[in-house]
Amino acid sequence: MSSAAFPARPLRRGQGPWLYAAAAVVALFELGVTWLALHPDVPADYRAYYLDQTTTCLNEPVNGSYSFGTEVTFRSSPDDRLIKPLRVCGWEGPVGDGLHAVGESARLRFALPYNAQNLTLMLEMVAVDMAGPRGQRVVVSVNGRNVGEVRAVPKTPRRFDFTIPNALLAAGHRLDIELSFPDAIRIDPQDSDTRKRSIKLLAGKVV
Amino acid sequence: MTVLQPDLPLAGAGALRLRWPLAATLALIPAGFVLIGLVIRYFGYAASVGDESIAGFPMGMCRWDCGWYIYIAEHGYHHFPTPGMNAAGNWAFFPLMPVFVGLVHMVLAMVPTMTLATGISILMAYVTSIIAWPLLGRDLKAYTIFSAYLLAGPWSIYFTTFMTEAAFILITTAALVALERRSYLSAGIAAGLLSATRIVGVFMSIAMAAQLLGDHIAARKPLRSFIPEILRRPDILLGLLLAPMGAFVYMAFLRWYVGDGLAFLHVQRAWARAYGNPLMFVWDALTDFPKTGWIPTFPQQLAAAVITGFVLTAILFVRRKWAAGTFSLISITVPLFAGMASTLRFTAAMAPLPILGSRLLARNWFITGIVVLGFFAADYYVARAWIDGALSLV
Repeated sequence: MSSAAFPARPLRRGQGPWLYAAAAVVALFELGVTWLALHPDVPADYRAYYLDQTTTCLNEPVNGSYSFGTEVTFRSSPDDRLIKPLRVCGWEGPVGDGLHAVGESARLRFALPYNAQNLTLMLEMVAVDMAGPRGQRVVVSVNGRNVGEVRAVPKTPRRFDFTIPNALLAAGHRLDIELSFPDAIRIDPQDSDTRKRSIKLLAGKVV
Repeated sequence: MTVLQPDLPLAGAGALRLRWPLAATLALIPAGFVLIGLVIRYFGYAASVGDESIAGFPMGMCRWDCGWYIYIAEHGYHHFPTPGMNAAGNWAFFPLMPVFVGLVHMVLAMVPTMTLATGISILMAYVTSIIAWPLLGRDLKAYTIFSAYLLAGPWSIYFTTFMTEAAFILITTAALVALERRSYLSAGIAAGLLSATRIVGVFMSIAMAAQLLGDHIAARKPLRSFIPEILRRPDILLGLLLAPMGAFVYMAFLRWYVGDGLAFLHVQRAWARAYGNPLMFVWDALTDFPKTGWIPTFPQQLAAAVITGFVLTAILFVRRKWAAGTFSLISITVPLFAGMASTLRFTAAMAPLPILGSRLLARNWFITGIVVLGFFAADYYVARAWIDGALSLV
């Protein structure tokens, strides 16, 4: 290492080969980690939300614990604990005016008795004020199948009933409900799609 | 050879050898500011909360990201799905500071995490003052200002509570001292730690390359010989490769733990960051005038911090401080693509900037005294604003 190419501290005799070897090991490690980082090994839900960004709603493993037939209020109340097992993703709150949907879809989960049949899902919703008189379309699907499309309007809460065909009742005895918001609004043009606003959920029931 | 001479001689250890009266002075100045800063912030805390106590003081100063760091120090990183059943995993927070506090806490388990973290942060800020001595031109006035800035200045909240800034400014300063001495291996090791502290730490590798290029050009050598000459110096090569090592180790951990080595980037989706043109972000913030009164709005305060940062960075380049200038420029600019959030904190903890600022302000002892007294007053009011949740301090 005779050349003083850079104004650097001189090397001790015999250091060179060891330093080159260390550099090679470090470079290999960094290349290996780069390869691993570019090839993630993650669950499908993780991939859909964080990597592919095909959903704004990251499925969370809530158990859907629900007292069959009771109406759950999604406004902030002492019974907030009833809400937590039902809200899968895509919600903020509850606050005084309900559970706020954020993003392009939101999910709920209701665990059912094993013999539940001929079910009806009731959801009470109101559109966010900025939606204007046209309100917000809400496409509702249950266990992956579309069961209807409704329109929520601002200021006036509406109750909607959805008939659940028995054929949709899964072996797991639960309803996985997805609410999609095709008209969801960005408050600021630069807002992320995970911050889009659409409706507030006020109450829900499965009977 | 016409290579620009660094501030420090290349002789090594002798460059830092001090006579003991000076060493004692250098030790006592920041020690005094440690005590003064603690008293000032305690009064700020006591004036802001209704139930102040000395035992509650460290936790009372814990705001914003501090809670995340306490969690990591006590429980480690989230698995997927997260325990909170939401998308905001704590993978965005780089490990060096919280993991270091967590390791010390394993030994000193009887000390509350926040109290321990406060002590560690203050110690780091103290050490930062001392090792910055050569970068401050060995000027006692600049040293006094810089020490006060860290330990009893307006942004001391960042360096004396549980954030990453204390570690970040300490390791940045260490890397810059090593670069001034043209010790690229030491700089690479420091930079490797820096890249495990905050994501922008990886840019120290670019700053090192900028320093090398600056020296190469100053020596009137052709550009085509730049890479071959680096390859002929294995210590420089190893230093450059070690510089991002901390980030790579964290990526390897995340790949093993979560399955995604880039989880710290991907998880930003949960924070719904708005990405855009940095210039537009700064302009929008600057023109966000107060509706009433004359006190600048939070966005204006952030814009002022960013502009001050860029002005100081320009001065670094004028002074041919290539590594410091490059690191500051990239580390201020890159976060701006995600908006103005936290830009005051990022700028305040960018070591080359307060070091340069201290040198510029250290005209004489009278001005130094005025600056330090101003720092004390600002420390009190900023501590109160910090506790009250001022958004510009996030």
